[in-house]
Amino acid sequence: MLSLLLAATPALPLDEAGKYVAGAYIVFLALIVVYVAIMAAKLQRIERELRELAGFAESRANGDQAAPGRGSEEQSISDSFAPHGAEEAAPYE
Amino acid sequence: MYGKGLRPLSIATVAALVAALSLVFFYVPLDADQGFIQKIFYLHVPLAIVALVGFVVGGVFAILHLRSGDSRWDAYSYVSIHMSVIFGVAVLITGSIWAKASWGHWWVWDEPTLVSFLIVFLMYATYYPFRYAIEDRERQARYASVFAITAGAFVPLNFMAVRMAESLVHPRTFGTANGGLPGEMMFTFLISLVAIGLLWTTLVKFELTAKSASGQLKRLRRALDVPTPGGSSRVAPEVS
Repeated sequence: MLSLLLAATPALPLDEAGKYVAGAYIVFLALIVVYVAIMAAKLQRIERELRELAGFAESRANGDQAAPGRGSEEQSISDSFAPHGAEEAAPYE
Repeated sequence: MYGKGLRPLSIATVAALVAALSLVFFYVPLDADQGFIQKIFYLHVPLAIVALVGFVVGGVFAILHLRSGDSRWDAYSYVSIHMSVIFGVAVLITGSIWAKASWGHWWVWDEPTLVSFLIVFLMYATYYPFRYAIEDRERQARYASVFAITAGAFVPLNFMAVRMAESLVHPRTFGTANGGLPGEMMFTFLISLVAIGLLWTTLVKFELTAKSASGQLKRLRRALDVPTPGGSSRVAPEVS
């Protein structure tokens, strides 16, 4: 399959012009990657804060005055796999 | 629900980008004049068009914000401008690379197309300090909307002025008496334009979804009476 693709591919002139073309497309790709990395960092912060709040809410519901930040990552992940509406169906403890 | 439809949109974007790149490198013939360097055209021009349209879209959202007073439109306007500024950076860099390869210079100061785009870009670069300088959120949103409308109106005027000006080295490809693009090149260009447009839309939606999540988190903090770590951000508008 790869050999067929390479056979159909025109010979790319990777000389002086090829470097510039590659540079332009790599710059574009790099910008997208940097943007996605920044967004990933933001998402991580949101997840961390959410876990902290979940821990705080749980400790408050249990009448525990411990500091926030007790929500475990494992708990959050397993909760996220629960089907929609499962929390309504489950008996509240 | 800003995340609704984000997955099919992302898939469509990736498919369009793959199709566009495949057409650029395996289908479209080499340009008789510039040869392989002309491949930058299928990235640089769609990026420029989408960035400029994005600035105008930001202005339209700003009008909706001023008409309705709904802060959601302000967030749309902010994110549209933000994404177009990022695309603008890509336009300037890819344009400079193309200029160096084609004309032997990274930048040509007496070329109206280049300088006018730089002016538009720098004008929108001032949007951030202008916005952040205002503490009060409502005033900040109102002033930013006025800026977005004024600057958004300047973009097509600027474009028309450049089209009317005599170009020294920058080519005029569309709608000229010298003829346009051949069919294969035009088809590839249109697919590239759709792909870049979809990318812009996806990233705007992605950013709005992240802002919405952040806004919901702050609402939750307020409801639980938990202070926001590091104080409230006055940088970007929130959506909830």
